Amino acid sequence: MPSEETLRALYTDMVTARYYEERLQEEYLEGKQPAFDISAGPIPGELHLAAGQEAAAVGVCHHLREDDVVTAPHRPHHVAIAKGVDLERMTAEIFGRETGLGAGKGGHMHLFDPEVNFACSGIIAEGCPPAVGAGLAAKKRNTDGVAVAYLGEGAIDQGAFLESLNLAAVHDLPVVFVVEDNDWAISMPKERVTDVESAAARAGGFDMPGVQVDRDDAVAVYETAAEAVGRARDRNGPTILAVQVHRRMGHFMGDPQDYRSDEDQEAAMERDSIERMETHLHDHGVDDDAIAEMRDAAHDRVDDAIEWAKAQPKPDPADAYEGVFTNPPSGVTDAEPDFDLAETGGEEP
Amino acid sequence: MTVDRELTMSRAIVEAIGDEMRADDEVFYMGEDVADYGGIFDSTQGLLEEFGYDRIMDVPISETAYLGAAVGAAQQGMRPIAELMFVDFFGVAMDQIYNQMAKNTYMSGGSVSVPMTLTTAVGGTYSDAAQHSQTLYGTFAHLPGMKVVVPSTAYDAKGLMHNAIRDDDPVVYMYHKRLMGLGWLPAPEGPKTPVPEEDYTIPFGRADVKREGADVTVVTLGLHVHRALDAAASLAEEGIDCEVIDLRTLVPLDRETVVDSVRKTGRLVVVDEDYRSFGLTGEIVSTVADEALDALEAVERVAIPDVPIPYARELETEVVPEAADIETAVRTVQ
Amino acid sequence: MSGNDRVPVVAEGAWTDDVDEEEGVVVNWFANVGRHVAAGESLCEIQVEKVSVDLTAPVDGELVEIVRDEDEAFTVGDTLAWLQPEE
Repeated sequence: MPSEETLRALYTDMVTARYYEERLQEEYLEGKQPAFDISAGPIPGELHLAAGQEAAAVGVCHHLREDDVVTAPHRPHHVAIAKGVDLERMTAEIFGRETGLGAGKGGHMHLFDPEVNFACSGIIAEGCPPAVGAGLAAKKRNTDGVAVAYLGEGAIDQGAFLESLNLAAVHDLPVVFVVEDNDWAISMPKERVTDVESAAARAGGFDMPGVQVDRDDAVAVYETAAEAVGRARDRNGPTILAVQVHRRMGHFMGDPQDYRSDEDQEAAMERDSIERMETHLHDHGVDDDAIAEMRDAAHDRVDDAIEWAKAQPKPDPADAYEGVFTNPPSGVTDAEPDFDLAETGGEEP
Repeated sequence: MTVDRELTMSRAIVEAIGDEMRADDEVFYMGEDVADYGGIFDSTQGLLEEFGYDRIMDVPISETAYLGAAVGAAQQGMRPIAELMFVDFFGVAMDQIYNQMAKNTYMSGGSVSVPMTLTTAVGGTYSDAAQHSQTLYGTFAHLPGMKVVVPSTAYDAKGLMHNAIRDDDPVVYMYHKRLMGLGWLPAPEGPKTPVPEEDYTIPFGRADVKREGADVTVVTLGLHVHRALDAAASLAEEGIDCEVIDLRTLVPLDRETVVDSVRKTGRLVVVDEDYRSFGLTGEIVSTVADEALDALEAVERVAIPDVPIPYARELETEVVPEAADIETAVRTVQ
Repeated sequence: MSGNDRVPVVAEGAWTDDVDEEEGVVVNWFANVGRHVAAGESLCEIQVEKVSVDLTAPVDGELVEIVRDEDEAFTVGDTLAWLQPEE
């Protein structure tokens, strides 16, 4: 059982993440009513919220250092918060502002915070290979750095994931693959598209350990992740960590979830990992007032970040043309060398 | 001092890679058959002995994983050189190439760099058929976010490789199989040139006028630089003086050199070993139309037609431009 | 100077035992006539069967004659070029 300090830290990030998603949902839907126009409003485009999946984020990320690398998929905010991403600049990026993490060029699915080595990406499973690459860099540099790739259970059928498992296994790379199993790949229930019950079963085919945490409990995730992250840090190779979570909202904002039975949606709402964490805190002698204090502080932090973000300037259209490359187009030089080359068969001097 | 030591294009590439690897521990090469085999097209020939299996790294046949791993390692500050054995294999890994490698710098607002080099073998003319003979210059040049270079000589190859490895941006380095100087795929006259022993960098985005001329501008790259020079030699006997421009880089594209030349000659022939439609030849012609329409008197495009590249020698020879086809095009614009 | 002290570059080496064939082809010359070469420097690449090897300069000297050009065949043991050793 983690210490009270750890429990408090886990809880804080969980309520921060939950409230963040709820607030973003409000902001997102504003301006899109009554007819849902996806390009309208302060947060245009798609938005994928992770309310209900907090345990998978905090349970793993709270074992990580700033120099450990995390890649996340299109549903990234809870992971970003747990990894310590700059909340204000992340929010500004989601609102498409100039001072956002990506200067408004990436948006909610492409958040990069190199200060804490976090990146997310919109193509299913394609965050896995770069995480493996970060693990490869750690191995080559002889550090005890760890890389974590987050993906959904719908992604475990994608080639990028399977190839990444093999590459990580054959080179014993310090990578943890965290599969957030929320049962649904947009509208497709897991059993319709995948033949194994748990993502952990994939591990056997690649000669690495696979473990499943089958309840929505951040403490259970934290304890199981300790082994997986520890294994990587000790240079003992990769692990698949499958974590049961539940998706409280639709796949994307605007998703009516017609495909999901009422029972399924209600059951999801009942398995609340945050409520479970409050129980753990009570067991540790942390009373409701203390819990409310943490929760209120978290809510204030989120409200402040959103307020800050909405006050940020919008990007200058001219900026759209800039920033494709780091170096000038010509590379590291713009001068042609001057050699006296001997005459040769086919070339004019 | 005159440089008179000649190297094949593959040896020039290897020399640059070895140099950079000696200078910086963070440079490493990953690809299929790059260790003991030294690369199917000799891209790492002899490097294993000096650097070992750790830095000349064989990878499983899983392009998405290892090209993506190169992206991840590069984002952590290393300088991987990752090889796509045949450019035609890009299909199995394109997301990591065009959605990650090429876009992460932009999407991150410049806070992330991807200092990797993606080397790949291109080209046909030896009956390797539709899935192993392409150049795909247009495909890679078209998608934003990656620099694309196509050396045609050993001298250019070494300078461009030094730049590619040192550049903090992703560079797709496309080497034509027939220019490498392989015993089993003989090169024409031309790619083997004197190569300085010291390291040097050639800037991207600078086309090289390989032959000055007054009558017609022939713009091309890769293998067809040499076919164009052969054509030019023949045409000179007929009194037609060709200017042959070797693009050397596709991204960034040196439009200025092309336009300046057409202002001089008025006649443009573009030669490409990629498919005709929606590609390089169209890009060059439209560049001139945009910037020097008044100077343009005649135009011909010579490229592979819009068909998959066929296997039988007669069929492949028909579709891949030869020196004779370039001569015909030049005569047409006179 | 007379040609008597010229040193041959011979198509022979440790690799000779690895091949059954006697015939080979010169694939690439890396030095032209007139170049001053250092002992051990790669002069040319030859191919016998599927084996590709570099022939290196046996001594410091000037490459004074190329006997077999690129794409020409030879028999194992043939002299492919001559060096004039440095004094």
